[in-house]
Amino acid sequence: MKPIFHLMGSAALLGLAGMAQAGDVRITVAEYSSKTGPYFDKMVSQFEEANPDINVIVEVTPWDVMLQKLTTDIAGNANADLAIIGTRWLLDFVEQDIAEPLDSYIDEDFQARFIETFLSPSRMDGQIYGLPVAASARAMYYNKSLFEEAGIDGPPATWEELKEDAAKISALGDDIAGYGLQGKEIETDVYFYYPMWSYGGSILADDGSSGFGSDAAIQAATMYKSLIDAGVTQDGPTAYNREDVQNLFKQGKVGMMITAPFLASQIKDEAPDLNYGIAPIPAGPDGDRGTYGVTDSIIMFANSGNKDEAWQFLDYLFTQEPRSEFTRGEGFLPVNKAVSEEPAFTENEDLKVFASVLPDARFAPVVTGWEEIADVMSSALQRVYLDQATPEEAMTRAADEANRILGK
Amino acid sequence: MNQGSAPRAAAVSPAAAPPRRARPLGGAVAYLLILPAFLLAALIVLWPLATITNISLHDVNRFGQLRGYSGLANFADLWRDPDFIATLWRTAVWTIGVVGGTLILSIPVALVLNRDFYGRGLARIIIMLPWSVSVTMTAVVWRWALNGESGLLNSALRAVGVLDHNVVWLASAATAFPVQIGIGILVSIPFTVTVFLAGLSSVPEDIYEAAALEGASGWQQFRSLTLPMLRPFITLAVVLNVIYVFNSFPIIWVLTQGGPANSTDILVTYLYKLAFRFGQMGQAAGVSIIMFAILLAFTLLYVRLVSRTETPT
Repeated sequence: MKPIFHLMGSAALLGLAGMAQAGDVRITVAEYSSKTGPYFDKMVSQFEEANPDINVIVEVTPWDVMLQKLTTDIAGNANADLAIIGTRWLLDFVEQDIAEPLDSYIDEDFQARFIETFLSPSRMDGQIYGLPVAASARAMYYNKSLFEEAGIDGPPATWEELKEDAAKISALGDDIAGYGLQGKEIETDVYFYYPMWSYGGSILADDGSSGFGSDAAIQAATMYKSLIDAGVTQDGPTAYNREDVQNLFKQGKVGMMITAPFLASQIKDEAPDLNYGIAPIPAGPDGDRGTYGVTDSIIMFANSGNKDEAWQFLDYLFTQEPRSEFTRGEGFLPVNKAVSEEPAFTENEDLKVFASVLPDARFAPVVTGWEEIADVMSSALQRVYLDQATPEEAMTRAADEANRILGK
Repeated sequence: MNQGSAPRAAAVSPAAAPPRRARPLGGAVAYLLILPAFLLAALIVLWPLATITNISLHDVNRFGQLRGYSGLANFADLWRDPDFIATLWRTAVWTIGVVGGTLILSIPVALVLNRDFYGRGLARIIIMLPWSVSVTMTAVVWRWALNGESGLLNSALRAVGVLDHNVVWLASAATAFPVQIGIGILVSIPFTVTVFLAGLSSVPEDIYEAAALEGASGWQQFRSLTLPMLRPFITLAVVLNVIYVFNSFPIIWVLTQGGPANSTDILVTYLYKLAFRFGQMGQAAGVSIIMFAILLAFTLLYVRLVSRTETPT
């Protein structure tokens, strides 16, 4: 019976479990860029040189299918020992006892390596369940050449100013838009939270119910809609996802857009002549500001058979040298204190702006069903952008649906 | 093997000697011979079906782990979901639109390709070529072509003077969904034409000569000869295309992911979102079962209807 069982098991696990032996550590990593795979291969060979009895197997998975892969692996009991996940998914992993609490491995020294802002989203019920591996915040990119051409001195400080500047830039030509507005696919909702936060709103109200029906949310949606109606965004925002808007920016067809540090490294490679600047996201009428902070975390699976070996590999990954190489290669913000003090980061003008907005950073709320709530908001916005609903109608309905998901 | 093949051969050619040995061998041997195929079908069809049914009747966490029996609660949730009901209807429009359009376009194409003309081989290759490209890749190319700002379609239509400004095709369902149906038709044509060509090649030439002698017009020949002869092939094309199109994921997912605001979702894209975005495995399994039931009902009903209309003739 036993060999047969083993055979069936390996078939079900696509042979992966069949290959794994004691001392093997499997890690599923997200492919942030074409540099991710080679980076981890290098780390593994360096680690194995120092720890010849441990064999590390790296599985590189594209971000788009990461959650699907993890879900399928876990359902089939074929998951790795370690995995990179979006920290916003962590609650589900913790509630279902999939993720192992790491406190027994972490000593004070280890914890002191991290910048606390980025470690806090991985803390639940007083335990640390994940180690932040990538962090980013958002800021506004603006095209200096277009600003100059339109006779504008510098980036707008408020959304009111942004609207005026966008109108001036749009007037420069038919295929030039003042403000690039994302209206499709992942993070369509996030693109709206920037003004919502500026107007003083929040995703969740203090009592834990949805903040989508608030005056601030309606004002922000009305403001975005007025940009579309005034013709100062690109045509048909609901056809543009984040990459599409970034492409417009790289082509010099968009005056301003809000996105993460990685656009700067893309511009360096793809549009080195583009004359751009980075500024904080505009403030609202009362001076409120908000930017979206995102971290990804490495978790250890509770059912891992090689926890000690897996931890040894984590311990190595989070030392200064590997962290520095990863953060520089992928264009993220440093999560490691020592790394953030390296000249490569302190002397980088672009990253300075991102570091300066961190005090305003807000993270995705830690609630179950967050992805579904984000989708509710994205759909509500698309209805507003397409004129299928007024901001009041769309936001009120989004709040109702979000409250149903939240059980409020 | 010998014992088994004898009754089968007898059954296939009824004109041969009466099937004397068919009866005594029926029972055990027949079942034994069916067994391997049945086991294979059970493994790849019945086992997942049973698993999905089981999941759909349970409260399931996002990792597919069962958390207690919940009866029909998942189905009730779906029924109360206005997006699901709208998606159900849209799937009908999508399926009928793509399959109907494919049939209407494929018959004339097949008729032309069946004629003997110079360069027919090349023409056939050109018609079949889209088949060799994966549907996902085709959809990706169309996504570029449909880009509002830099898309090929807009610049082509502007060049010939059809448009005077860029249309952002994927911005709303009013333009996106018809375009998606069009692409669906485009990628379904090669297979359908192949089926029809096979059918046409089995139609003997001489009956057309006879009909022409009797003074039948081209349209009459088509109505009274070609169409009836093609009927079993049309049935085949309808059933296979409906199954394929109903379940087709890449075109809609790549172009719009069912958006904006779920306005281009069909059941299979909605299912994917439920399962892998929202982690509603139970409801997703429910959608899966409903899709299976719809397809099964359609196939049985359609094949039955067709065979009933065929028997009198």
